[in-house]
Amino acid sequence: MLSSYGLAVFLILFAVFIVLGFYGRRWRKGDLTKIDEWALGGRRFGVFVVWFLVGADLYTAYTFIAIPSSVFSIGAIYYYAVPYVAVTFGIAMWAMPKLWKVSKEKGYVTASDFIKGNFNSRSLAILIAFVGIIAELPYIALQIVGMFSVLTVMLYGIGNIKFIEDVSLIIAFIILAFFTYFSGLRGATLNAIFKDALILLSVAIVIVVALMNIGFSKAFTNLPLKYYHILPLQVNAYWSLFLMSALALYLYPHAVTGSLSAKSPKTLRTSQSLLPLYGVGLALLALFGILVRGDSSAMSFLSNFPLASRGTYVVPGLIFYTLPSPLVGMAFLGIFIGGLVPASIMAISQSNLLTRNIIKEIKPNISSKVETQIAKISAVLFIFLALGFVFMFPLSYSVQLQLLGGIIILQTLPSLFLGLITNRLNKYALMAGLLAGLATGIYWMEVANKFGPWTTTLLPINNSVGPIFIGFLALMVNLAIVLIGSAIALPFSKK
Amino acid sequence: MSSNNSNRKVVSIIAGILTFMPFLFLIMVPTYVKTQPELGGLPFFYWYQMLWLFLAAILFFIAAVLWNRFGGD
Repeated sequence: MLSSYGLAVFLILFAVFIVLGFYGRRWRKGDLTKIDEWALGGRRFGVFVVWFLVGADLYTAYTFIAIPSSVFSIGAIYYYAVPYVAVTFGIAMWAMPKLWKVSKEKGYVTASDFIKGNFNSRSLAILIAFVGIIAELPYIALQIVGMFSVLTVMLYGIGNIKFIEDVSLIIAFIILAFFTYFSGLRGATLNAIFKDALILLSVAIVIVVALMNIGFSKAFTNLPLKYYHILPLQVNAYWSLFLMSALALYLYPHAVTGSLSAKSPKTLRTSQSLLPLYGVGLALLALFGILVRGDSSAMSFLSNFPLASRGTYVVPGLIFYTLPSPLVGMAFLGIFIGGLVPASIMAISQSNLLTRNIIKEIKPNISSKVETQIAKISAVLFIFLALGFVFMFPLSYSVQLQLLGGIIILQTLPSLFLGLITNRLNKYALMAGLLAGLATGIYWMEVANKFGPWTTTLLPINNSVGPIFIGFLALMVNLAIVLIGSAIALPFSKK
Repeated sequence: MSSNNSNRKVVSIIAGILTFMPFLFLIMVPTYVKTQPELGGLPFFYWYQMLWLFLAAILFFIAAVLWNRFGGD
């Protein structure tokens, strides 16, 4: 268990964080009962704030817990997160300023608003909003796994593991729900800066200490080849994972929200272009999955947990056994709010979609005060729903939660990204493609997992191609239907 | 006006090439599936891709600045 000294650091920093969250509500004051203010922070952030805000979405439980866990449990293939971060902003720096401009001109707040205006289709917009909400649920669940893992390591030793895990899950849920309800995006932004400072500091300290104490040569000793680099048969899995993740990131509703809060398209482009730098910490954290093997006390701690959940405790475990307890408290808080802030941003964007693009479509004349109230309550409800996804995959494979969200959200790519480039796509073809992509995606998930419990998002093709990420295959089905359908419909359209 | 337009075109091509480089090099996965040369005990596979994070930021940043200045919004 964490010493009282370490615990005190954790609690004091958490108190600072909460105060900042509430201060954030008044920072660059706006009317928080209006949804634009609660959810977009008023569209006035500059290069560095946007850099922090969008980058903070990267430093989540995905980075701290899921990727290191998979590198530890499975091998080098889950280092795909690094090329993913390297290329994703190359897409975003061109697509997002364009979306920003259209959004500003027409008063859009969500991607679904854009779809409705661009394709003049209410049903496509509602469908896209619905898919966005669903895709965020496993991603929020992953954040809860992160918060939960830190609490479990902190409380380790006060009772049996089952009891600690239950208590940790309940605490994580309650804090997340309260935080989201009371602070909104503006609070989350100021918190993101605090969180990032804390996290970058922790990562830097741990990597220096770990490298001095362990070193890569020692950690790699006696490891199988799959930890040195990917295997020849994993090449197709590797590029499909990183390229699809790169395309998926900016389709998520929460990423759109962060980008729309920039002050101008140029500001947005500049901050996007610098975001690959954020990936350096991610790469180092991924390597913790290997470094931990060189630390015998951390490894013996991990052996207390079954293989199915062991990976999730790699980073907290390594921190616990390499740093003095006050620094452990600081790093743990970093990881904890590293799940909390993104989860909150995600739930806010879900509730944004629900109120603006679903409820208001059906009942257009609700007041903005009622709208904000519905948004706040539904954000908490979505967090509760996300809890149902937490144990969908064994904890060691929690990265699959993010990849599952990816398979789902990728199906909105034709409507969103192609919609920015051309207006010749047919809305019915887009709907058919989206639904077919979702259906084949889920079907291939079942095939890849032999109709049993889900542990993978890779579908084995044959002995020369190897496995491929299902998100890629489903997107190809989707795109084929959209393009063929639009080509057939083109001669019949009025324009 | 026409020189402005051709400037814009040149800038968009340069920015496009700069943006495309990280994609091109990273998609060629078999070129970096190897252990040697190591860097401080770290296999090539890991440090090579980490290096691309810096290179991507530099290339993207130049592309962004060029476009923001000469290209438009």
